[in-house]
Amino acid sequence: MQLFLEQMLNGIAIGAIYAMITLGLALVYGILRILHVAHAAVYTVGAYVGLAVFSATHSILLSAGGAMLVCAGVGVLIERLVYFPLLKYPPYVPLIGSIACLLAIEELCRLAAGPYILSFPAQLPFPSFTVGGIVISSTLTAVYCISAGVLALLWFITTRTELGLAMRATSQDMAIASAMGINSHRIISLTFMMGSAVAAIAGILVGVYYNQVYPSMGAVPAYKTLALIVVGGLGSVPGAVLASILLGVGETLLIGYAGIPLPRDALAFIAMIAVLLWRPQGLLGSRG
Amino acid sequence: MDEPLLSLREISMHFGGLKALDRVSFDLHEGEILGLIGPNGAGKTTCFNTVSGVYRPTSGEIRFRGKRTDGLPPHRMAALGIGRTFQIVRPFPNLTVLENVIVASGLSCYGRLIPSCRSWKGRKTREEALEILARVGLEIQAGQKAGLLPLGNLRRLELARALALKPHLLLLDESFSGLRHEEIAQQEELVRKTRESGISILLIEHNMRVAMGLCDRLVVLDHGRKLAEGKPEAIRNNPEVIRAYLGKGGSANAS
Repeated sequence: MQLFLEQMLNGIAIGAIYAMITLGLALVYGILRILHVAHAAVYTVGAYVGLAVFSATHSILLSAGGAMLVCAGVGVLIERLVYFPLLKYPPYVPLIGSIACLLAIEELCRLAAGPYILSFPAQLPFPSFTVGGIVISSTLTAVYCISAGVLALLWFITTRTELGLAMRATSQDMAIASAMGINSHRIISLTFMMGSAVAAIAGILVGVYYNQVYPSMGAVPAYKTLALIVVGGLGSVPGAVLASILLGVGETLLIGYAGIPLPRDALAFIAMIAVLLWRPQGLLGSRG
Repeated sequence: MDEPLLSLREISMHFGGLKALDRVSFDLHEGEILGLIGPNGAGKTTCFNTVSGVYRPTSGEIRFRGKRTDGLPPHRMAALGIGRTFQIVRPFPNLTVLENVIVASGLSCYGRLIPSCRSWKGRKTREEALEILARVGLEIQAGQKAGLLPLGNLRRLELARALALKPHLLLLDESFSGLRHEEIAQQEELVRKTRESGISILLIEHNMRVAMGLCDRLVVLDHGRKLAEGKPEAIRNNPEVIRAYLGKGGSANAS
């Protein structure tokens, strides 16, 4: 029982991290109808920049701030230099561009930092708890608090502010939104900045959680988050978050705890196939 | 004569070899309802799109309130005071009717990041939006998802959305098409009231009875060229217009 609960807590934490990466993808798909595969590269950059700043300053706050700034910049650059010029072509063209970006950025990280696995020996400034014999480490507490905070902030921005209304309007009909006085270019850039900054946080959390940062750390998230936005419902942010958390819990419980002999990363795709067969609009998607 | 509110000078819009607009000029004066008519494919909607900033004209000059505006993007035109509706109604289907209107009234905030983070459920924005909905008779539907409204209500929602920009000029692209008789009468009343409130109107209309009854002046386009311009009676009797446009089975409509 205790092991089950511990696994459950780990699963939710992993799911929360997935959610923070998948969010950016869901936001971008919602607004541009592009599969932003390169988002995983932004996440990798976040981990590396976070590690670099941390090594130089030993401050995890500066590290997070720096990584968020750099990633927001990288996200906007990808949007401006790659997606924007390719928007007029069929959707597979920006997708190919996106894959190219992913590979190029991964290789840049490899060139800059070497092909090794670097450790990220940060202590996150969060307390650890022991509840009924179950230890909740400070890293776990940090993942819970930070992801809950980030998700709440994003929820607030998208549903309760004028900026969020402008984002929803732009994602539903860009031409009309412009006619209503919304500078849709700016809204798109802001969306990329927000998604990318959140990916930076996810990169640092993963780096610290597993104590590993390496050039291809974005490879598995790149396709797993694609499966997740399909499972959640393309473009649905709440759906993406729900699917991410379910997957995190599912991976830990089914494969880690119950010991089903499947590769852990297969679960996302089994879920995707099941969703495509029985509920093609996704868990929380609106139309089929 | 004072300076016109909107003036088009020698506007051409070419798409490849197609001359959708060919050196079209006309003026719209403060307080006027000007109708843009012509057969299908005459260039009416293209003309709207150049005025509202969707297209940058190939050549020519557009002035709005004395300022050169051709080539400015749509959101800048909206900010300068041009509101528009669309031929095919396009509400934001997943937003409520009220939110649809608030989107347009948030204008002053979208330019900057900080004020746009204020809650848009602020009382003032909300009250203004509700007041506009009351003006077009949609206050009861305020909380509904816009995608669920019938066409007549959608046409009025489009008008409400354009009004929320507090425009000087309203562009109405076939705001009457697909409406029933009594809805047309309501919509005409609404357009007249809008003009009385000080907003000038440029409209595209296929229904000749509506266009003749509502507009102070008409501009007739045909194959991208301006064919005629004048008061409704003069247009009705213009032989060239009859030949190009009303002659093709349209004369019954015109009388």
